[in-house]
Order: sequence, then structure tokens, then C-alpha cells
Amino acid sequence: MSEPEIKPEVMRISWGPQHPMSGQTRILIDVDGEVVRRIIADIGFTHRGIEKILENRTFIQGIVPIERMVMADTANIALGYVQAVEEALGIEVPERAKWIRSLICEMGRINSHLYAFGLQVECTGYFPAVFLWTTVDREVLLDLFEKLTGARWSYSFFIPGGVRADLPEGFRDEVRRAVRYLRRRFQDYWDAMVENPLFEMRNRGVGVLSREDAIRLGATGPVLRGSGVDMDVRKDEPYAAYGDLDFKVITEKEGDCLARLKVRFHEIEQSLNIMEQIADEIPGGPVRTKVPLFPRSKPGVEALSRVETARGELGVHIFTDGGLKPYRVKINSPTLRNMYVFERLAELGRVLVADLPVILYSIDPWYLDCDR
Amino acid sequence: MMDVVTLIWLYILGLVRWLLHEAPAQVINFIMSLPTLIPELLKWLWDFIWFNFKPLLQIIVIPGLAFILLFAMIAVWFERKFLARAMLRIGPYYCGKRSGWLQVIADFLKLFFKEFVVPDDAEKALFLAAPVLLPTIPALAITLIPFDSNWVLFDAGGLSLPVFLAIAGLSPVIPIFAGWAANNKYTIIGSFRTAYLYVSGEIPLVICAAASALLAGSLDLVDIVEAQRPIWFAIPQFIGFLIFFIGLILEAERTPFDVPTAETELVIGWRTEFSGILFGFTMMAEYVSFLGWTLLFIVLYLGGYLGPSLFGVPLYDHIFWMLLKLAVIVVIIVLIRTVYPRLRLDQTLRLGWNYLMPLSILNLLMTLILKWGLMV
Repeated sequence: MSEPEIKPEVMRISWGPQHPMSGQTRILIDVDGEVVRRIIADIGFTHRGIEKILENRTFIQGIVPIERMVMADTANIALGYVQAVEEALGIEVPERAKWIRSLICEMGRINSHLYAFGLQVECTGYFPAVFLWTTVDREVLLDLFEKLTGARWSYSFFIPGGVRADLPEGFRDEVRRAVRYLRRRFQDYWDAMVENPLFEMRNRGVGVLSREDAIRLGATGPVLRGSGVDMDVRKDEPYAAYGDLDFKVITEKEGDCLARLKVRFHEIEQSLNIMEQIADEIPGGPVRTKVPLFPRSKPGVEALSRVETARGELGVHIFTDGGLKPYRVKINSPTLRNMYVFERLAELGRVLVADLPVILYSIDPWYLDCDR
Repeated sequence: MMDVVTLIWLYILGLVRWLLHEAPAQVINFIMSLPTLIPELLKWLWDFIWFNFKPLLQIIVIPGLAFILLFAMIAVWFERKFLARAMLRIGPYYCGKRSGWLQVIADFLKLFFKEFVVPDDAEKALFLAAPVLLPTIPALAITLIPFDSNWVLFDAGGLSLPVFLAIAGLSPVIPIFAGWAANNKYTIIGSFRTAYLYVSGEIPLVICAAASALLAGSLDLVDIVEAQRPIWFAIPQFIGFLIFFIGLILEAERTPFDVPTAETELVIGWRTEFSGILFGFTMMAEYVSFLGWTLLFIVLYLGGYLGPSLFGVPLYDHIFWMLLKLAVIVVIIVLIRTVYPRLRLDQTLRLGWNYLMPLSILNLLMTLILKWGLMV
């Protein structure tokens, strides 16, 4: 990355990858005392060429590398790819498989939001108590994943034509039990953290993104909804079983870090509701249709699938040339769009050095998602 | 002028001659005189200990080196174990069985034998001196604290409170130097934060201490404690009590005011470049400064070494009460760390200048009126 010039009155700090809170990316900040004048995200720092890798894999092999984009939220990412493949190859999915997909996606969303919630709370300077609480509570979901898919992370469970396996026996009761437990724990989080006056002081009015700016800069996911825009692919363009499920799209008006945190928090509650609904109402039937191991595509087909991941809207665009492999896969990742918003925030409002980690983690960055 | 090489040879020759001719006789003489010398030495040592027993005890045990080190170790151990429970962990587990008490010593040894790195761009002398000065200055202030009516290591008489404040007021200068000397961007931001923070925190603290001294009618810490025999100053000086408590957390740079060493923002602020035993000293300095201010807090507001009265009968004065009060305050301050996030620098400054400062002046005025009312 070519570094932009520095004005004489500011000091440029390379914030990361050695910084405790930066994660595996590099962000350059120009600081004038305590005030951050400019943020330059080093996009491409963790580039792994996932799009290129997908061109060299068959359609089903591609599921594994694309899941590596966001490890905390593999279900939603894989669903985006699998749906695009299904559209390109013209594969039908049975109803029950769609419901199981929704169930896993919501569990993945909770998993990812828990991680984001814990990190944002830790950034405000809590001793990492809450981060570890969320990590412990995540285990409930990981155990469910293990029972259902055989893996706790990166389960590669979705395949073109359905899901790999049906729900195990007694799984629906376990989902209900997990939902009850998590509801109780989230009440604790709300009481201890969100309603803590000092926590509110650190988050309210920090990194404000107005509704107009959010739309203009192309924010997505909880960042967009935190600024009061009612937009969720699950509602606008229902995929999987979301058309039949009853849930609300959460929005907050303020557009600050607290609003984004609250959006995530209430989205977790909605996801728990969805999980319960699926456990109660899931239809019977087969979970996959027969698809050959190496499906051959028709030449010149384009397919686009939009999925609401935990970080926002993911678009997967597939071109085929009639071979066993996709000709090109273009991924429009949510973190890239939000990182662009994050860079602009220093121009839109006053950002202090102390607020930088809070704002960064309020957009819930996943750098591998950003750089692919 | 004589050639330098010749000069060196002359010296070496002189040394060899001394070794061959005179040294054996001197060594033999020394060994022969040992039987008479050792009892003399022992007697001198015994007399020294006998006549200086109390000051020696004070220097070595309380409030001296052993106490400060032990406090730092116990506080670190307790904090790690206690915070681990809040984080749904177990904490140190393997060193020293389940309680993990040996872990602190193990960590200290590790830090001690680790190579420390001095950055190329650093001001070497200042960079190396700062970690040594850091715990020393608050430790000096602790010598002024009365642990009993006649248990004061350094008795400054009627000046002990101002001297304490003066010495303790020197301590924030060192982090500023240290941050500057390390010549790193994070350390410089951290050291400037330190400067801002101490100015906003220390002034209310001094005003509150002045109000307390005014109520006691003396600047002597022993007199201030003795004046609390009827009632601890925490009650007539309630505002001052609260302000001093907040200011003490602020001075000790503990959560929610650990702004200069904010880990999630500035790596560890002005400490970033310290490694090995230098880092160990800065960690210890945090606890020593914490100890100093807590002891002053106890002396000014919680009756120092005075025992609480049980059914109207006051219990004996003893160092024990001082230590008990210290333990309670430390536990409360560690508890605060588990439930509060860190404030931003501007919020801390606003707290200091907009709330603590006017309230401490109000407290001073109220004390004046109270004192005037008592005199009339």
C-alpha cells in the first residue's frame, strides 16, 4: 500500500497488527494530540485470494475455502455461495432443508454477534470479563453445531441441493433448552453492561453515522440498521425459510456505537425466536435432492445470491463457462463496505484515540472477509 | 611525558611486587587476627541491632520493604484470582497448588531473568532510571504514614501531611519522563495523558486533605488520627471522603481511570517500551502508589490505627486495624475493576474539573464553617 502524505501537524501511527486491539490488520491513523484526523485502513493486508481459489475448485469443493472468509459466521457465508451454485446449476432444494439452513444460519448469527458484542465491550476497557462470558455461552451453540454437523467450526454442512444430514433425534428439544439458557444469560448482559452508566458514557454519541451518510457511503448490516435504515435481505428478498418465519427487523435511530450494539443485541433475541419457531414448526420430508458429485454447468450462466450475514449483506456472483468449475466468483463482502464507512467516520465527526477501538469493533470487522 | 604503555607496565610490575612480597604477610596477619575480630564484629552488630531495633524493624518490616513487597504480591495474587472468578476462569492454578500463590513469585523471577530491551532511539539514562524511581518515590511517601501513635518511620512532626503530598506529587513526573525517554508514539501519548490526569486529580485531593487537616487543627498525621477519636472524619467530611476515594483510584491509575495505560487504546501507554525487570518495576510502582494513597486515605478519613468502638467501648489501637482497613479498601477497589469500563480522557478531566474540584472547595468551606461553629 502506498502511504498517503502526512500533514506536518499530525503524527502517523501504524495501528496494528502489533496493537492489542487491532486484530490481524493494519490501520494507519493520523493523530493530532488525542484527536484522530484521518483513518486509512490498509485493505488487502490479509488478502488470501479466495476468489481465485474458487476458480480452481469444483462447485462442491468451493464450499470449504469460501467458509474460511468468516470463521465465526461460516453458515451464512457458505449459504450465499451454495445458493448461487444452485441458481447457476438449476437445482431445487427441499422445504425441510431450507428450514434446517435457516436454523443453522441463525445459530451462526448468534455466535458471531456474541463475539462482536464481547469485543466491543472489551474495547471500552472492561477487564475482559464480558468477552469471556460470551465465549463461555457460545459453547452452548457450538455443542449444538457439533451434534448436528459433526464440527464445531467451519462445518461445511450446506451442499447444493440441501444439507448433508437430517436433524438428530431429540435435537429440537436441545434447541429449545439452549434458547432458554441464552435468554437468561442475555438478560444478565443487558443488566450488567448495556445499562451500566459508564458503559453508556463510552458508547453514546461516539462514531455517529447519520441515516443519509449511512445510505450514501453504502453501509450494510447492523451498521446500516443502527442508523435507522430498515433493510434486511431476509425480509426484503426472503431466501431459505425466512419467508415463512415471523421476525422483526431491528433498527435504532441514533447511529452511534451504542445503537449498533443494541441492534446486535436485539437481533440475537430475534434469532432466538426464530430458532424456537423452527424447532416447533419445521416441516417433514427429505433434506437433499440428488446432485452429482461433479455437477457440470451450462455455458454462460450468471447467478447472483444475496444473503444477510451477521455483518451485513453478502453478494456472491457466479459466472459459468460450461465446465466443472466456476469461471469466476465475485464476492461482495459486508466488511469491505463497512470498513469504507469506518475510514470516513473521522471526517464525519470527532473521533478520539480512545474511541477508535470502540468504533472499529462496533462495525464488527472481519478482515479476512474484507480482503478475501 | 612518559609513554602510556610504559606507565601501564609499571603499574603491573608494582602489582606483581606487592602480590609477591607484601600480600602474603598481610593476609596471614588478617587471618591470625580473625579470632579476636569476629566477636568484636558480632558485638558491634548486636549493639547496633539492640539500639536500633525499632527503626530497623520499621525499615525492614512495616512500613518498609517487606510490607510493600508483600502488599504488591498479595494484591496481585488476589486481583488475578478474584478477577478470574468474575471472568468464569480459575486463575493461576499450577504454581503453588490450587491457590496459585507461587505464580506471583514465578512471574517475578521470570521478569527478573528476562533480557530487557532498550530501544535504539531512547534516552538511555532516563529510560533506565525511570523504572527504579517509579516505585521509590511513593515508597518514600509511605515512610511518613503513622501505623501507631509512636510507629512512624520518618517523623516529620507538624509537617508530615504537606511532606507526604509533596513527595507523592513528584511521582507523576516520572511517567512523563519515562514516556518521553522511550521515544515511541504510544508512550508519548500515554505520558501526556498522565500529565493531564494528575493535574485534574491531585488538586481536589490536596484540597480535601487540607480540609481534613483543618478539622483536626494540625498538619501532623498522628494528630489527625488522634483527632478522630470521637468520630472518624468519614462522617463529618463525607463529601471529602467520597472525593478522596475517587481521587485515590485516579491517582493510582486504576480502572475506571487507567487512562494513561489504557491497553485497548495505547498498547500500555507510557509503559509500552519497558520489558523484563523494567516492566516489573513499573507494575510494582502501580501497587506502591496505590498503597501510599490508600494508607493516606485511611489516616485522613477512617481513623488510621484507631480501633472501632464496640458498644461504646473503643477497642485497642493497633497496627492490625490499619491493615484490616487497608484490606477492605483494596478489595473494594479491585471489585470496581470487574464492573466498570474505562472512562475517556476528556470524561475523566470533566469529572475532575467540573465535579471533584468545586465539591472539594465546597467541602473546605463547610469545614471552615463547622470549625468556626465549634470554636464559637
